[in-house]
Amino acid sequence: MTGIRIETLTRTYRAGQVRALDGVSLAIAPGEVFGIIGPNGAGKTTLLGCLLGFLRPDAGSITVDGHAPDDLAIRRVTGYLPERLTLDRWMSGAGFLAYHHALAGLAAASRARDVAAALERVGLDATAGARAIRRYSRGMLQRLGLAQALLGDPRYVFLDEPASGVDPAGVVLFRRLLNEARARGATVVLNSHQLDQVERVCDRVAFVSRGRVEAMETLAAGAAAARVLRVRAAGALPTREALALAAAGAGAELLEVASPLARFAVADDAAAARLVAALVAAGVPVAEAASEEGRLERLFLEGPAAPGGSA
Amino acid sequence: MNRAIVATTLRQRFTSPMRVALLLFFSVPPLLGALFMPAAGLSLLGDSYGAALVFAAGMIGQDVSSGTLQLLLARPVRRSEYVLSRWLAVALATIAVVWTQIAIATLLLGARQAAPAARDVLALAGGDALLALGMAAVMALLSSLAPGLADLGLLLVANVTATALGAFAQFRHWVALARGAQEIGRFLKPEVSLAPMLQGGAVSWFEIVSWLSTVTLCLALAIAVTNRWELSYASS
Ligand SMILES: Nc1ncnc2c1ncn2[C@@H]1O[C@H](COP(=O)(O)OP(=O)(O)OP(=O)(O)O)[C@@H](O)[C@H]1O
Ligand SMILES: [Mg+2]
Repeated sequence: MTGIRIETLTRTYRAGQVRALDGVSLAIAPGEVFGIIGPNGAGKTTLLGCLLGFLRPDAGSITVDGHAPDDLAIRRVTGYLPERLTLDRWMSGAGFLAYHHALAGLAAASRARDVAAALERVGLDATAGARAIRRYSRGMLQRLGLAQALLGDPRYVFLDEPASGVDPAGVVLFRRLLNEARARGATVVLNSHQLDQVERVCDRVAFVSRGRVEAMETLAAGAAAARVLRVRAAGALPTREALALAAAGAGAELLEVASPLARFAVADDAAAARLVAALVAAGVPVAEAASEEGRLERLFLEGPAAPGGSA
Repeated sequence: MNRAIVATTLRQRFTSPMRVALLLFFSVPPLLGALFMPAAGLSLLGDSYGAALVFAAGMIGQDVSSGTLQLLLARPVRRSEYVLSRWLAVALATIAVVWTQIAIATLLLGARQAAPAARDVLALAGGDALLALGMAAVMALLSSLAPGLADLGLLLVANVTATALGAFAQFRHWVALARGAQEIGRFLKPEVSLAPMLQGGAVSWFEIVSWLSTVTLCLALAIAVTNRWELSYASS
């Protein structure tokens, strides 16, 4: 297993007028949960189209486990949830899953059991499963789509906006399913605009803009990661100078003060612990200290050229 | 050939209210005819052309325009497998309906003391099956070229063109063109008349070879067309 290799992939539409992908190179390791974020029209869906072998690149190459992406051996171990989900509306949810179970070449003997389990997995009960897909709500469709993508526990899972139209409980459920996929060693490629979700499930994230990978963020390294610590005091904060001094003594850097909040850049967990101790020693009534999330949001809004939030 | 696709297509075709209504509309009246005008015999039944069109219309194009093909082709299914399975399912659905119709008509005629000769029943059933397989192949090609139900439009345009060409050629006495128009017509309705053969007449090798080549050509072209497709959300 060599994972996914994308080399200088270029793809245009309308005889070259639209450059949807422009020299994208990525290597996604087996077992990695890889996020792709970027503005509308950035080329994320086009990239998934190429990964599935649905779109032919103008230049460059893609291999999945060393095979061409449309190799049937790869299709057999791939689950896919498209951005514009259109299912066979006349079928029942359970019938649809049974059909895809058969198409995927999974054993007929376990079909009924697998379908029931797949429905339950995404929070659809047997009544919903028996209903015609044309009577499904938007979120139910999306749930059924994900159940379909995860049939047979595929080794590769490609998801284009999986949580769109899904209620908050569904979002939490989807996150759990992705973590389960990771736990069994699946390689997941995920397009999403829900940055907090991406931040919570992905090991690495590529920021794509106008067909190019503009930045790459590694999210998995929790303890060792440089980040911003937000501190909230129970009362008034001391002066800016006093805070800066305490921070410098602990090897951290004061970024911003807006009493009762202050933001510090820290290098890792140990530095964060030293900072909190120093603040308490300096008489700051620390009520709360938390790592600031939203790294991806900043990447998105400020662009890769701006400092990524970590000092 | 993919059994799941064949089975699902059959279910899809027989649960579509529009298609079933059209079939009943066209296949019940001839049966009433058999009941009330038994003297006319099996000739009232016509052929399987209409039923084939009812089942075949949109057989590939509708999957493309609805977007369901994206999920299907993400599965380990060759495009040729998809085309051939759709073709077989459409033909089987047609054959099931026309054979049922023939069986009922034969029983009704029998009840009215006008039972047809077994030979005639066989000739009709066999000819209908060959026409069903042929039309399903023609429609597979047209449907791979056009979205939605536009394959019916293509068929109509092709037929009108062939007829107009034929008339024009007749008018100008252009034998070659007339012959060409006739060939196009034969291509658009691939059939073999089995009656003369079953009645001990000569086997029409020309008809058989022409039917075989039309079916093969249509399916090969349909597969070639679908193999060239790119699938994206804007594919229709
Ligand atoms: N079939 C097509 N024909 C023409 N242009 C296309 C086609 N598909 C995509 N494009 C164009 O290619 C560019 C990239 O589109 P793509 O769908 O890959 O973006 P995206 O990053 O997925 O956007 P979103 O976040 O809105 O889903 C856009 O400019 C889009 O208009
Ligand atoms: Mg997209």
